[in-house]
Amino acid sequence: MGADSKARIREFVLDNITETELADDDDIFERGLVRSMFVMQLVVFVEQEFGVQVTGDDLRFDHFRSVDRVDELVTRKLAAV
Amino acid sequence: MRALRVPLAQPVPGDLAPELAKRLFFVSSAITEFDLVAEGGDISAVDLVISGDAEESAIAVKIGKVVAAEVLTQRPLPPKQVWRCPVEATFVDPFPELLAGDAAFVAGEGQVGFGEPLLSLVDYLDARLLAIALELPGSREFRYPTLLPTSVLDRFGYFGSFPQFAMFVTRLHNDIDVYNGFVDRYRDGGRLPDDLFAQCEDKTYCLPPTMCYHTYHQYTGRRLPSEMVVTSRGKSFRYESRYHTSMERLWDFTIREIVFLGGEDFATGCRNAVMARAYALLEELELAGHCEVANDHFFGNADTAGKILSQRMMELKFELRVPVAADRDIAVGSFNLHGQFFGESFDITGPAGGPTASGCVGFGLERLAYAFLCQHGADPAGWPTAVTDRIGDPGAARSHH
Repeated sequence: MGADSKARIREFVLDNITETELADDDDIFERGLVRSMFVMQLVVFVEQEFGVQVTGDDLRFDHFRSVDRVDELVTRKLAAV
Repeated sequence: MRALRVPLAQPVPGDLAPELAKRLFFVSSAITEFDLVAEGGDISAVDLVISGDAEESAIAVKIGKVVAAEVLTQRPLPPKQVWRCPVEATFVDPFPELLAGDAAFVAGEGQVGFGEPLLSLVDYLDARLLAIALELPGSREFRYPTLLPTSVLDRFGYFGSFPQFAMFVTRLHNDIDVYNGFVDRYRDGGRLPDDLFAQCEDKTYCLPPTMCYHTYHQYTGRRLPSEMVVTSRGKSFRYESRYHTSMERLWDFTIREIVFLGGEDFATGCRNAVMARAYALLEELELAGHCEVANDHFFGNADTAGKILSQRMMELKFELRVPVAADRDIAVGSFNLHGQFFGESFDITGPAGGPTASGCVGFGLERLAYAFLCQHGADPAGWPTAVTDRIGDPGAARSHH
């Protein structure tokens, strides 16, 4: 399940950047791969793709910086459902 | 004037209430007053006072559109304070005393002229902020013209994000037939013609909403030899739709701006340094206040929710807020990071060749001074000695009256 969600997150990010190389721990914002507005798309993607709600304290930038970090958030949210 | 209750099709969560409130006066010029109606923590309706013969149903439709497109699309983040000044304030309303003493003059909506002791206070505060700016590495001061080319704001999409604030400057089109026609009609009618702007086709200039745009304009297309800081002070204009009769919110005001151009770390370091110095200044001024994560007032834009969310999540904007009454505070300064947005928009490159990152800090001088008066009174005798010792006796300037 973890590997599967990570692959879906990686695919979504790759679909939205021009680079084809992306490590799961790359900070996609710091590397300048996306504009700051992309964080909203990521939040909406996580909610729609995994059927979880991202609100309040979950809306922390640190949760969205890399494929690994998004996957940690998704795994935690799914475990809590 | 008519009172009207507009029920909201979908309730607005309480934590988005400020986002609704800051947009309501821009929904229609017929709205002269409003109150949010809360029900179980949510906003369920809006009570309005409307003027003229505006159709009530049309106003309800406009409100529905703004709520659906720009308020409910937002994801509220919990408020986050990063600093609080350890001062307990008491409050006065200094404005009646300023008016009575001829120390302030209401020139129009959101426009206030002022003399001593406010004049010395504003200049003193600006001198302190200028000193903070000039301590930063690679710093220099500039004074800009007031008018800003419209193309500068156009270049980074300002009009698409903040159409509500924009102030355009125009003039009669330079053509002898236009002048003659205008003068004839003006003499015949004894007043300016209703279709005046049909004769003013020039829109090359606008009034600046803040000072930093002058700086990006200045360095457009240039490669900076090193990281730099530019500070300037100047008149700024934002149409805010409704103004209190005081100096809390002005249409025509003065900003002390500090712009940082360089790498991301340089911009962040400068911003953080100015924040720390601003906190120390507030403590020295014995002003209650705090600093919190904030967002710009994007309006009329499908991207509003995304822009606000990213700005708040990435903590790109902080506001220094100072109370002016027990139940009300105002932002006296903001501390912003832009990433490479302005570097790319204005083709400003750093020593290594890539687009420069930037950040800026702006202080509203009249607001800071006014908040000071709200907490310390209009009479310099009641001001902290840390201030009066350094600016001398601002009342002395009144002695020649």
